[in-house]
Amino acid sequence: MRNVAFGQYYPTGSFIHRLDPRTKLFAGIVFIAAAFVADSYWAYLACYAFLIFVILVSKIPILQVLKTIKSVFFIILLSVILNVFFHHEGKVLVSWWKIKITAGGLLYSGQIILRLMFLVLSTSLITLTSTPTELTDGLEKVMSPLKYLRFPVHDVAIIMSIALRFIPTLMEETDKITMAQKARGAKFDTGGPFARAKALLPVLIPLFVSAFRRADELAFALDARCYNATEARTKMKILRFGWKDLTAFLFLALFLTVIAFFRSGFFGLL
Amino acid sequence: MSIEIKNLSCVYGVRTPYEKKALDNISFTVNEGESVGLIGMTGSGKSTLLQHLNGLIKLKSGSVKVFDIDLSKRRPDLMKLRKHVGMLFQYPEYQLFADTVKDDIMFGPLNFGMKKPEAEEAAARAAELTGLNWEDVKDRSPLELSGGQKRRVAIAGILAYSPDILVLDEPTAGLDPLGKKEMLDLIASLRKTTVSTVITVSHNMDEIAEYCDRVIVLSDGKLLYDTTPAKLFYEEDLAPLHLQPPHAVRIVRLLENKGIRLPHDVLTEDQLVAAIKEYFSGGGHA
Ligand SMILES: Nc1ncnc2c1ncn2[C@@H]1O[C@H](COP(=O)(O)OP(=O)(O)OP(=O)(O)O)[C@@H](O)[C@H]1O
Ligand SMILES: [Mg+2]
Repeated sequence: MRNVAFGQYYPTGSFIHRLDPRTKLFAGIVFIAAAFVADSYWAYLACYAFLIFVILVSKIPILQVLKTIKSVFFIILLSVILNVFFHHEGKVLVSWWKIKITAGGLLYSGQIILRLMFLVLSTSLITLTSTPTELTDGLEKVMSPLKYLRFPVHDVAIIMSIALRFIPTLMEETDKITMAQKARGAKFDTGGPFARAKALLPVLIPLFVSAFRRADELAFALDARCYNATEARTKMKILRFGWKDLTAFLFLALFLTVIAFFRSGFFGLL
Repeated sequence: MSIEIKNLSCVYGVRTPYEKKALDNISFTVNEGESVGLIGMTGSGKSTLLQHLNGLIKLKSGSVKVFDIDLSKRRPDLMKLRKHVGMLFQYPEYQLFADTVKDDIMFGPLNFGMKKPEAEEAAARAAELTGLNWEDVKDRSPLELSGGQKRRVAIAGILAYSPDILVLDEPTAGLDPLGKKEMLDLIASLRKTTVSTVITVSHNMDEIAEYCDRVIVLSDGKLLYDTTPAKLFYEEDLAPLHLQPPHAVRIVRLLENKGIRLPHDVLTEDQLVAAIKEYFSGGGHA
């Protein structure tokens, strides 16, 4: 595992790391819900206060966590632009030709930024503090009631864990192929958009070829060992809730209460 | 002096839990015409070192100079560097991408500014150098060739832009014994005709003993030895490095235990046979 920027596991052995993955998944859902419930800057302040507290407890450098925003930067930018120009409410600040920027629009865009960033940060905290195996185990457990609806829970879990497992491998491979083509004089950062896209082919083609080769080999290897994803398998590490998880749940309850208070504006006092 | 490296260090993943010092204060020079072998256990930093010779990793501390290109200066001319230093990666056959062998070999020359007809000519010449039959392979897809052929295509793709130094990262890995031998003979013949300076990474000590005039041993990112194969294999203790000396050296040692003393410059099969013949045909007994 080489690239930590993409919200990959960042071991520190903290309290958060040792939580049951199901607790973390549940907390993720609670945080996401909170982001949608929050509707004032005070509520966002509260959300971020809780988030920062969690980051501090996880002992992951805050910069590492912030880095994960990079991957969704353009989505955030786009939605901000759309809202600044098309959300019309309150005093008009700028009005030029057909473009109108309103105070309400700006405030609303601010909230959108805070909301999206909060979503990304809180979900990356899950992947930063849990190994892919823990996550898929947790997901499998959480989804297990779906089994009764004939949903192939275990297959899906296996597919997910294999996909997660191969992300670093493929990134490493991309690195290597990029270097090899650079060594042959390939340039990736010159020319117009079309030239740049074309320059990526020497990397993408070998990457796809190797991804398919790996998939093929893996399928053969699984088959050769009579692998059958639907059989009931036992786990080496059994997930168990403990007092840590209880603490986490209490914390989440506190968090939800606070956000709910803000939602109704402190019972109409604010 | 072709290559001059001074106090080169390289750390991966600075300030993360995965921080790793891959190179630690490495200094050496390579002169024109030398064949240098680079050995060391897996993870000792060999590939990292080679990548610096092509400006593929940003130089952070120390200096790397290749001919007149100084990587520690601001904005070095990387294209010129890469044209001078042809670099073959580990398992280069997985980096072929074009529809035809011809296009793949022409990729480098075109990037380095050759015109199309010129590049095609260079490609044909390079392919023939590596022992490929140009007319036969030029319009085929690189994916449908055999492993050994693919590797030749990869090497041809580098020779086509006539580098002055060849840097090879485990050129024989994954080939069968015959393929290995052919690859090494190819490199040896290239040294006589086209590129005289070669740096090779290998895990095979027999190859190092036979084809290199000089060996550099890395261990955990540090330069441990920079010497000749004969000195390294006869005088240094390689056990802590988990390196087995070449077969010829091991046989010389076994014979020594039985009281038969052969000269300590025997490194290859041919030399061993010659030395044994010499020993038993006279002189040696006394
Ligand atoms: N891109 C990278 N990011 C982080 N760490 C890396 C990276 N590349 C190499 N390393 C680490 O640096 C060390 C040296 O790696 P390097 O690839 O140079 O070794 P090597 O001597 O070529 O090994 P091998 O014989 O297996 O090819 C290893 O511990 C490796 O895990
Ligand atoms: Mg290597």
